[in-house]
Amino acid sequence: MERYQNRQDQNSPFGEFQRNFDDYRRKLNQFMKGWGLWAICGILLIMYICSGFYVVGPGEKGVVLLFGKEYSISDPGLRYRLPKPFMSQVVVDVTKVRRAEIGFRSDGSRTRSVPAESLMLTGDENIVDVQLIVQYMVQDPVKFLFGAEAPENTLRASAEVALRGIVGENTIDYTMTKGRVEIQQKVQSYLQKLLDNYNTGLLVTQARLLVVDPPSQVQEAFHDVVRAWEDRERLIKEADGYSEDVIPKARGHAQQEIRQAEAFKAQRVIRAQGDAQRFSLVVSAYSKAPAVTRERLYFEAIEKVFSSARKLVTQGSDSKVMPLLNLSDAYGLLPAPPTDKQNSADDQSRKGH
Amino acid sequence: MLKYALALFVVALVALQSVFVIQEWEQGLVLEFGKPVRIIREPGLYFKIPVIQELIVLEKRILAAEARPAEYITLDKKRLTVDTVSRWQIDQPLVFFQTVRNYVGAIARLNDITSARLRQEIANHNFKEFIREEREKIMNQVTKGTEEQAKRFGIRVIDVRIRRVDLPEEVQSSVFARMKAERERIAKRYRAEGDEQAREIRAKADKEREIILAEAYKQAQALKGEGEAESAKIYAAAYTKDEDFFRFSRSLQAYKNIFSKDTIFLLNPDSPMLRFLESPYGKPVNSAERKIAVPKAP
Repeated sequence: MERYQNRQDQNSPFGEFQRNFDDYRRKLNQFMKGWGLWAICGILLIMYICSGFYVVGPGEKGVVLLFGKEYSISDPGLRYRLPKPFMSQVVVDVTKVRRAEIGFRSDGSRTRSVPAESLMLTGDENIVDVQLIVQYMVQDPVKFLFGAEAPENTLRASAEVALRGIVGENTIDYTMTKGRVEIQQKVQSYLQKLLDNYNTGLLVTQARLLVVDPPSQVQEAFHDVVRAWEDRERLIKEADGYSEDVIPKARGHAQQEIRQAEAFKAQRVIRAQGDAQRFSLVVSAYSKAPAVTRERLYFEAIEKVFSSARKLVTQGSDSKVMPLLNLSDAYGLLPAPPTDKQNSADDQSRKGH
Repeated sequence: MLKYALALFVVALVALQSVFVIQEWEQGLVLEFGKPVRIIREPGLYFKIPVIQELIVLEKRILAAEARPAEYITLDKKRLTVDTVSRWQIDQPLVFFQTVRNYVGAIARLNDITSARLRQEIANHNFKEFIREEREKIMNQVTKGTEEQAKRFGIRVIDVRIRRVDLPEEVQSSVFARMKAERERIAKRYRAEGDEQAREIRAKADKEREIILAEAYKQAQALKGEGEAESAKIYAAAYTKDEDFFRFSRSLQAYKNIFSKDTIFLLNPDSPMLRFLESPYGKPVNSAERKIAVPKAP
């Protein structure tokens, strides 16, 4: 007791607190005796009633429940319902497009493949690596909330069912090439059918195949097929190039040969005409004085022939001089000393004149 | 004052014990000392006797039962790893509660039923049929079979779907090897086809070139022949006017062309050319020569 007594000392902090507390209590009692209590009750009541306000954002729908039972559906804006435990609401975004990734997960900018999900059997017993993206939205908020447990998980699982089902119906080549669009459409309609069946209230807006690839173990072989196709095209193009090169050149050569032949023909004919004309003119002149003309022509020709050729005039018709002529020397068949040759040639020509 | 407050507190406690709400996605079962007395299927506000009666709340929504992957054998003795997912709903809460009590138990039972049915169905089909053609039909069969058996547990089965069908690990590598071989075959074919077509195109080009050149040669030869023929005709027409003179003049022309400065002539003064070489009056002309020299009058 002594210790408590001490605490109530003027100076101790506890003593001060005690005094303040007593003071408050006195004031509170006074307040309660007046309108104070009612005021507090009133404020609490108003606060309670006000707890029934809630906001439905743009693109959202609010589902209002009265004692757990669907009561109404509210549109965007500031809305009011009775406070709990009478009414409650669940707000669902019905315009947001949501996405589910099958066969891969993206965190931020990076994507990571999930082989367990992405590898699947095709109808021709091959294995293909498929990544699918499903875009969907809530079509019916009531079904979405109350139709199926975890509707978005249902969607993921059903998307896998649909994708594997459809891929299993097709061959690997069809799936990877021409069939892509068709498979997308089939997956989408199949998935929608399942979702409707399960009362999920979800609408698939798009199912898109992101990747349809051979598994990494055989990717190199598939790439080689692509390269082989390119090789094939290249070989054909090269051959085409050869053909484009050779044929025009051949045509050019052909034209050249034909034109040359044409030139030859024209030349022959024209020259013949010239020769003929000349001959005709000469003949007509000749016929006027045949003997003289004939001899003149003869001498002209002989003159021309003899003027340049080497000549040797012999006496008489005997040709005793023949053996003396060194024919080989004259025709340069045997090499002879140049001076001798020169002299003998000079001698001969002097003899001729 | 205190008495009122205490009374109010007790009333509130009793009320809380006796009033309950069944949500839109729930259904309820009221037990009286463990004995079911009421099934509540609609959401709303309900009452029960406190302490004596007990409430069991169950899901009303469609639930999933995902089975673990298990190995199955097809009719053609191929092994497959298959997992399924079933969708179900508690149809009769009372039966459900009495037979399987909770979701875990229900899912285990369901998976047992589906895998047994699936094993039976897969064993009746070949691998190819199962993968490709009959998947839907098999799933419908399994659904039907499961549906009937699940009724005993107060469960309504919406459907059973095969999710993943995979080959066991050790088979996968041989599948990859086969796929690789198949691609190699295709690659070889493409390259060979390229070679085939390239050769054909080149040979065709060569052939065309030869034909073009031969045609040109043919045409050129014909043209040359025409030229020769025509010129021959022209010459003939001209020269037949005086054949003798033609022979004479053509010979002279030939002499001019034939003999060059290397030619050696052995000349005899008796030749007509040298008739005047030794005498201004000349040697008499050989009558035979004369005859040739003077042409017949045309």
